[in-house]
Amino acid sequence: MAKEMIAMLLAGGQGSRLYALTQKLAKPAVPFGGKYRIIDFPLSNCVNSGIDTVGILTQYQPLVLNEYIGNGQPWDLDRLYGGVHVLPPYQQASGSDWYKGTANAIYQNISFIERYNPQYVIILSGDQICKQDYSDFLRFHKEKNAEFSVAVMEVPWEEASRFGLMVADGNDKITEFQEKPKAPKSNLASMGIYIFNWDILRKYLIEDEADPNSENDFGNNIIPNLLKDGRQMYAYHFNGYWKDVGTISSLWEANMEVLDPEHSGINLFDDDWKIYSRNSGMTGHRISSDAVVENSMITDGCRIGGTVKHSVLFSGVIIEPGAHVEDAVVMGGTVIKSGAEVRHCIVAENVVIGQHAVVGAMPAGEEKGVATVGPGIHIGDRAKIGPNAMINKNVEDGEEQW
Amino acid sequence: MVNSNANAIGIIFPNSYDSMVPELVSERLMASIPFAGRYRMVDFILSSMVNCGIDNISLVVRQNYHSLMDHLGSGREWDLARKNGGLNIFPPFSEKNVKMYNGRVEGLASILPFLSSQSEKYVIMADADIAVNFDFGAFIDAHIASGADITVAYKEEELPMSVRAANDLTSDFYYAFRIENGRVQKIYINPTSPGKLNFSMRIYIIERELLIDLIRTAFVRGCLYFERDILAPQLDRYHVQAYRYDGYVARISDMKSYFDENMKLLKDENLDALFSPSAIHTKIRDDNPTRYISGARAKNVMVADGCVIEGEVENCILFRGVRVGKGSKIKNCILMQDTVVGAGARLEYIITDKNVTVTDGKELRGTDTFPVYVAKRQTV
Repeated sequence: MAKEMIAMLLAGGQGSRLYALTQKLAKPAVPFGGKYRIIDFPLSNCVNSGIDTVGILTQYQPLVLNEYIGNGQPWDLDRLYGGVHVLPPYQQASGSDWYKGTANAIYQNISFIERYNPQYVIILSGDQICKQDYSDFLRFHKEKNAEFSVAVMEVPWEEASRFGLMVADGNDKITEFQEKPKAPKSNLASMGIYIFNWDILRKYLIEDEADPNSENDFGNNIIPNLLKDGRQMYAYHFNGYWKDVGTISSLWEANMEVLDPEHSGINLFDDDWKIYSRNSGMTGHRISSDAVVENSMITDGCRIGGTVKHSVLFSGVIIEPGAHVEDAVVMGGTVIKSGAEVRHCIVAENVVIGQHAVVGAMPAGEEKGVATVGPGIHIGDRAKIGPNAMINKNVEDGEEQW
Repeated sequence: MVNSNANAIGIIFPNSYDSMVPELVSERLMASIPFAGRYRMVDFILSSMVNCGIDNISLVVRQNYHSLMDHLGSGREWDLARKNGGLNIFPPFSEKNVKMYNGRVEGLASILPFLSSQSEKYVIMADADIAVNFDFGAFIDAHIASGADITVAYKEEELPMSVRAANDLTSDFYYAFRIENGRVQKIYINPTSPGKLNFSMRIYIIERELLIDLIRTAFVRGCLYFERDILAPQLDRYHVQAYRYDGYVARISDMKSYFDENMKLLKDENLDALFSPSAIHTKIRDDNPTRYISGARAKNVMVADGCVIEGEVENCILFRGVRVGKGSKIKNCILMQDTVVGAGARLEYIITDKNVTVTDGKELRGTDTFPVYVAKRQTV
C-alpha cells in the first residue's frame, strides 16, 4: 500500500553555534522548554498532521538522539507499516559516504522512500521550534498543482538579507530564489520545509548527484535547478510561531518565550496540538515552605528550596534553599547548591553548581551575554562565571571565568 | 536460558477494600484511586513487582474496572507488554459456577486454568490498598530460606481508627498475627485492640501447585476468604512464615487516611522513602511542565506536570492538569487531575476528585479531621 506522504527529517546538523551544548549531542536532541527536545516538535507535528512514516537522517553525534527516538513509541510512531526510522549513512557495495549535503542525505536513502512509494515527500528540519500543520501545507500543494512547495515566513525587510528568500507572484508562484542577498527583492524567508512530488524529487536528486560541481544542498542546488527548468513551484505562507534555535541567544530566548505564551505565540498547553516527548517518570515537583517561585515553568521531579524567577526548570532539577535562579534555563538533573546565584544563562543537564557560586549576570547596558554551562560540568563553590562565558570544563572552587 | 527474572507470577486483587472508601470508588476501584500527585494506587505494587523481575502479572478484577483498564492499557508503561507473560486482566467470567467473586478464593478459582498452565514455581498475591516500594526479591529469598509453605508480609504498627472501626459487615477483612519465632501462630480477624499489632500487608508468596490444591479444596467447600477460611484454621498443618517489613507504607482505609497519606508526602523524607530504591511507573499523559504565572505563590506543595497556577497554593497536592485561577487561595487541599478552580475562590481542607470545577469566588471549607470531598465531574 502506498503512503500519500512521508516525511524526511534532516537531523544531522552539528549545531556548532551552540558550542558547549552540542559537544556530544546532535542539535535536534538539545533539550527545550522544560521537558522536550527540539526534535519533539517536528515529530509531534508529523503525528498530529497524520504523517505516520518519518525517516530521520542522522550523522553528527547520534548516540543520544538514537536512544531518545528508540522505537518512536512516545510519538505514536511505532507502526507495523511505516513509523519512525533512524537513517544514518551506511556502507554500500560501491563504497561508503558521509552525507555530503542535505540533498545527498535524501539521495542516499532513495530506496527507503521507494519502499513506501509515496506521492509526496515532505522535507523537515530538525532544528526549529515550530507548531505547524503539515496537512494544511499539503492541501495547499495539491490545490496549486505544485511540483514543489516551500513554507515561508514573512520577516522584517531589514533582516531579510540573512535568509534564503523566495520571490513569488500574486498567485504564490515562485519566480526567483535569493540566497542571503544584499538587495532583497522579497521578505518571504524559506523555513527549510519543502513538499515535493516524489517523482520530481527523485529525478532532481539523481541529476544533482551526477553533477560533480554540486554541493548537494537543497537551497544551493536543488531549488535553483527546479527554477531553471520552470517547474511548478509555490510558496506556502506560514504565520504561526517559528524559531530557529541555532544560537545560544535564540535558544535562551525561545525558552523564555515559553513562559509568555499569551504574547510569544508558542503555547505548549494546547490539547489540540500536543507536543510529545519521552517522559522522565519522576514524581510531581516539590516546592518547600521557604521557596519562592515566580513566573516559571517547573517540571516533574524538581525540588525547590530557593528562589526561582522567570526561569524554565527541566525534570529533576534541585534548587537548594538560599539559591537564587533568575531568567535561567536549567536542564534536567542539575543541582544548584545553597547560596549560588544563577542568572540569565543556560545550564545544561546534570551540572552541579557549588555553594555561593555566581553564574551569569542580568543584562546591563550593552552587556547581554547568556552564560552557558555544558552538560555534566561541576562548578566549584564560590566560583564566578561571567555573562559571556562558555563553560565546557569543570571549574575549581573560587575560580573565575569570563 | 539466562534468567534475570523472578520465578514467580504476580496476582493483584484491585477491588480489595473498596468498601472502606465508598466515595472514592463510586466510579472506580481501589487500584485506580489517584494518589501522590500523578499515580494510581496500583502503580506501587505493580512497579514493585516489575522492578524485582516479576513480569507475569495478573489482575483479578471484580467490578468498576473501566478506569483501571484505561490506566493500564497494554501494560507498556510498566514494561509489561510482553509476548510471554506480561499483564493480564481477568474480568469476571460468566460461567455457571463463578460469578462476581467474593474473597480471594473465588477470585483465584475463576483463574485456575490459567494458574495451572503457568510455569513459574511461585505465586505472589497482593492488594492495591497500600502504596509501598516493596522489595519482592528479598521477600522471595526469605520465603525460600525459611522452607515455609506460605510467607506473609506484615508491618508492626498501630492500627488506624478506620481499620479498628471496620466491622464484620463489610466484605473486606483486616488481619493481624501472633508470631512466634517468625512463624504465624494465630490470625486475628478485624482486630480492634489498641497498641501496636503485627498487621498483615496481605502480600503472600506460595508455591503455585500448593495454591492450586488449596483453592480447589476450599472452593468445593464453599469457602470465600484465603486468610479466614484457608489459613486461620490450618496454621498447624501449614507452615506460615511471617516476613517483617519496616519500610514506608501508605494505607488507604478511609477518606481521612487518604488525605493524611497524601499530605505526608509533603515531607521529603516520606516522599524519598516511598519512591526509592526503584522508580514507580505510571501512565504517561504528555502534559507540559507546570506554569506559575505572575501573581502565583506556592508554599510547601507537590505539583505534577500540566498545571497552571495563578493563585496561592499552600500545603497542597496538585495532580496533573490542575488550574488555579487568579486570586484564589488553596490551603491544605488535594486537587485531583484536571480540577479547575476559578478566580478568587477559597478552598481549605478540600479533596476534589477528577475534573471538578470550582467556579469564581466560591468558598469551601473542611477541617483537618474531616476533609470535604467533591465527587468526580461535579461543578461547585
